Amino acid sequence: MCKTETQLIAEARAGDKESFSQLVEKYQKPVFSVCYRMLGTPTAAEDAAQEAFIRAYQALDRYDPERSFATWILSIASNYSIDQLRKKKVTILSMDSDKHAWLAPPDPGPSPEKAAMDKEKSALVQAILAELNETDRAAVILQYWHEYSYEEIAETLDLSSSAVKSRLFRARKLMAEKWQEMQMISAPKLNSAAKRIAHETSTI
Amino acid sequence: MKHQQFENWILMDEQLSKGQQRELLGHLKQCSQCQALYQASHQLTHLFKTAPTPAPADGFSTRWLEQIDRKEKRRNRLILFITLGVISLITLVLLSTVGLELRSVVGSFPQMMLELVTMMANWIVFINQLSNIVTPLFRVGAKLLSPVWIYLAVFGLSGVTAAWTISYYRSRHLQEELNQ
Repeated sequence: MCKTETQLIAEARAGDKESFSQLVEKYQKPVFSVCYRMLGTPTAAEDAAQEAFIRAYQALDRYDPERSFATWILSIASNYSIDQLRKKKVTILSMDSDKHAWLAPPDPGPSPEKAAMDKEKSALVQAILAELNETDRAAVILQYWHEYSYEEIAETLDLSSSAVKSRLFRARKLMAEKWQEMQMISAPKLNSAAKRIAHETSTI
Repeated sequence: MKHQQFENWILMDEQLSKGQQRELLGHLKQCSQCQALYQASHQLTHLFKTAPTPAPADGFSTRWLEQIDRKEKRRNRLILFITLGVISLITLVLLSTVGLELRSVVGSFPQMMLELVTMMANWIVFINQLSNIVTPLFRVGAKLLSPVWIYLAVFGLSGVTAAWTISYYRSRHLQEELNQ
């Protein structure tokens, strides 16, 4: 029988790790995705996502059932990633470092061309996010990839709604400037990928 | 209207009214800077929407279960060692106090302390060797019994140990007296 999320949380609170592992299974993708966008490498993302779930499991007693579990777990993952970036100064992938630029989680794409394009896009995204500070980056990730409202981002990152609004405004400006700069520079892989995006949007 | 206002409209994540949209479009035709910003903003949104969603490698939840098991094992071991350390310290303090009071009965106090420390060191080595067996039992015990009962049992055992040690030294002293 398929258990509801509330049942799984109640069982996990009583110490049932198997029940919590079903919640891990359900939320692994969004949590991993936040960690990956924040930290930039699959290895760092895996470690951070695992740690986020461990922290969530250990803090289940403090979880307020009135709150969405997804928001709560993403809040743990975002804040943990922010702490990691501040503590270890994790190097975010940059388009300048060809050695790592195309490192991304394995993608079973339908064709080699599609896989190559996905890698290019992933690297572009990471290079742009690398321009932002930790908190602005988390706010951008939650807004663009998880479609969070200003209020939800504020709750997740423990900020006021107006602070989120101004951070996102500043982040968009910075990212747009970086994007314009990327289109002008002569890094071959980057240039071709950025131009392709420009072409795609012009045809929409 | 000032250029800054149009820049704000481009970068703000809010729906513009029809009038504002008309004004913005009019401005974009004249201002190449705002046009470039508008295009960049659109292209970025498109990139973010079409970029692949990263996913973890298969078996993520299984790896999580293994990791939480390891962490819990480590934590239980730490709790066990801290508990034993505290008990040893309390026993040592208790025995020192009792030993000082009864030094006329138990004979040489430094000798007794030396034997006691040796005995405790042996105990710690023994417990360390058995920790892999004790830890799962402790975990099961923690699930079945409340912490109050566990602490009561542990303190009871240390009390019995202390009483046994004192009676052992007492009987040895009496034996020595009888021999003399």
